[in-house]
Amino acid sequence: MTTKPDDPVVVNKREHDGERSSAWRHFSLQNAPLILSMLILAGTLIAYVTLYKRELHKFPTNFDWTSLVNTALPLVFAAVGQSFVVLTRGIDLSVGGMMDISNSLAAVHLRPTPASMIAWSVVILLVGAAGGLVNGLLVAYARLQPILVTLATLSIYQGLALRVLKEPGGAVPPAYTNFLTSTKRPSGLLLVALAGGLWWVFRRTRFGMGVFALGNDEVAARANGIAVRRLKVWAYVLAGLFAAAGGLLMTATRTGGDATAGTVYTLTSIAAVVLGGISFLGGRGSAIGAICGAFALTLVENVLFFAHIEPLYTPFYQGLFLIIAVLLGSVAGRLARGRTR
Amino acid sequence: MTIDTATPAAPHVVRRLTEDRRRILFAYVAMIGVFIVGGLLNSAFVSGQSIRANLIIASFVGIVAAGQAFVILIGGIDLSVPWVINGAAIMLVSTSLGRNDRALFAVAATLGFGLFIGFVNGVGIAYLSVPAVVMTLGMNGVMEGLTLGRSKGLTCGSCASYAPSSVRALYDTRLLGIPLGLFVWLLIAIAIAFVLSATTFGRRIYAVGNSPRVSFLAGVSVKPLTVVLYMLSGMFAALCGILLVAYGGQPALGMGDPFLFQSIAAVVIGGVSILGGRGHYVGVLAGAVTLVALVSVLQGRQWLHESDRSIVYGVTIIVILLLYGRSREES
Repeated sequence: MTTKPDDPVVVNKREHDGERSSAWRHFSLQNAPLILSMLILAGTLIAYVTLYKRELHKFPTNFDWTSLVNTALPLVFAAVGQSFVVLTRGIDLSVGGMMDISNSLAAVHLRPTPASMIAWSVVILLVGAAGGLVNGLLVAYARLQPILVTLATLSIYQGLALRVLKEPGGAVPPAYTNFLTSTKRPSGLLLVALAGGLWWVFRRTRFGMGVFALGNDEVAARANGIAVRRLKVWAYVLAGLFAAAGGLLMTATRTGGDATAGTVYTLTSIAAVVLGGISFLGGRGSAIGAICGAFALTLVENVLFFAHIEPLYTPFYQGLFLIIAVLLGSVAGRLARGRTR
Repeated sequence: MTIDTATPAAPHVVRRLTEDRRRILFAYVAMIGVFIVGGLLNSAFVSGQSIRANLIIASFVGIVAAGQAFVILIGGIDLSVPWVINGAAIMLVSTSLGRNDRALFAVAATLGFGLFIGFVNGVGIAYLSVPAVVMTLGMNGVMEGLTLGRSKGLTCGSCASYAPSSVRALYDTRLLGIPLGLFVWLLIAIAIAFVLSATTFGRRIYAVGNSPRVSFLAGVSVKPLTVVLYMLSGMFAALCGILLVAYGGQPALGMGDPFLFQSIAAVVIGGVSILGGRGHYVGVLAGAVTLVALVSVLQGRQWLHESDRSIVYGVTIIVILLLYGRSREES
């Protein structure tokens, strides 16, 4: 775990040494973790459809699919946000606290007028970005370890969320729920596409390239004129922004607010990133993988339900699923690299 | 989580030693600082009774932090402690059924259970190269599910048992006014300090923490060492579970949850680098006491709402980290 198994230098060297690699082989080597996360998603999808068919003697309906997407939405956004930070070789444990704040603010302030809903959504997204900014400044400029900074800010954000909403309550305008997470129109799917699209843009900007570069080798990135600190701060800002968006979507799928409901997303967003094949050593992976991971985790919950697993045992199977999926990834990675050698 | 370029100033051995000692000193200064502030806010805070209560809670954090320190010293992390603690606590009461004649067996079985979980973690991390964060996060879920499922959400018949009186004697009996449980912590602390400072095993831990590859080339069996350290972490978490039921009498669901972040925070406040290879358990002792004292100072403030406590707690940790937890300027 201390060496990068597929160091770019080594990969390049191998390509120059041996016969010319085909474009496909290059692609599959570069994207092996992403392909694997898609395979995991496909596996859970097949399991879900099979069990659904066995239990209800029909295939999942449009309603099932849209509600599945809606359930996964908060995690999708939290996981994409987490991806930016993990790519810089960091980690954001405050994601859950940020979603708590977002959820509480939305439940307290949203009024059923378009102006209120839009204005407050923007304000909440900005609050998320500000929370991320604090994390980023402490990590990049005060040079504190990300895991410690975000641990501390998690506590702070949870406290702030509780200040906003002391006990579960508040209300969510039905129009808000309808617009973002309708079960009749594929609005949820559009939002997933939006998250994926933003990632696609990010990946192609100077900013995105810089984040990948600094995640791979910070010293080399700085030597090449990349403003390492500033980019790190922006990565955390994005994480905060996406976490706040996740919190808004969580609010939309519920009837009210709960200042502690978002906390669980700290660990599940990390799990989704892991399943998505993003390396904790930084600079390697794709948020598309994290989106697949988020859906796989949501599907597993449904699979366990249809498989009549005692609910108390659910964490057991989720934990096992996480370990086995990553284990498969490292075995597959080893095999793939063995073959190209 | 591990970065093997963490020692840019490696040749200056003397300077490194003094910096590590400086960090430990800071941890003790922070500890005394919290007690002074606490005493100024409320003089009862520095009474013998209050200090004793704080030290007992600190011993729980400190013992989990001992295992956490071992794995953090080699650049790892153990996120599985919450449900190992909880599982161990339930296991102790349900195997002993509150009977003294089964107490020894129950304690041994529970510690063995902790060692086994740590063994699985270690094998996954060292031999199957699963990242430590993933392995122990997954294991925490596995243990949560098993604990909830096997105990039927703590509604099983044997779960209602109390800890045997011989185990509870750890906190019911006092020697020189100090509960026996605190002596357990003292003995553990002395043993760990000795292991880290005066044995080849301890030296190897630092070597691996600084550079696994170089240690491997120097003949250290890195993988077995990693497994042993995760086993220790599992065992200390299980021991914490035992001590918690010895203190409180009965297990509860979620009783291990606060210990995850607190153990990591205690290790880091104690001057151990989260990147591995530097720091000492002597500092972690102070880290655990500082953290617990801080929480109890905050809890003593009646006008402070729970949410404000959590904010102050986070801000204080950041301030402590800003004072001395900063990593060196790179290149």
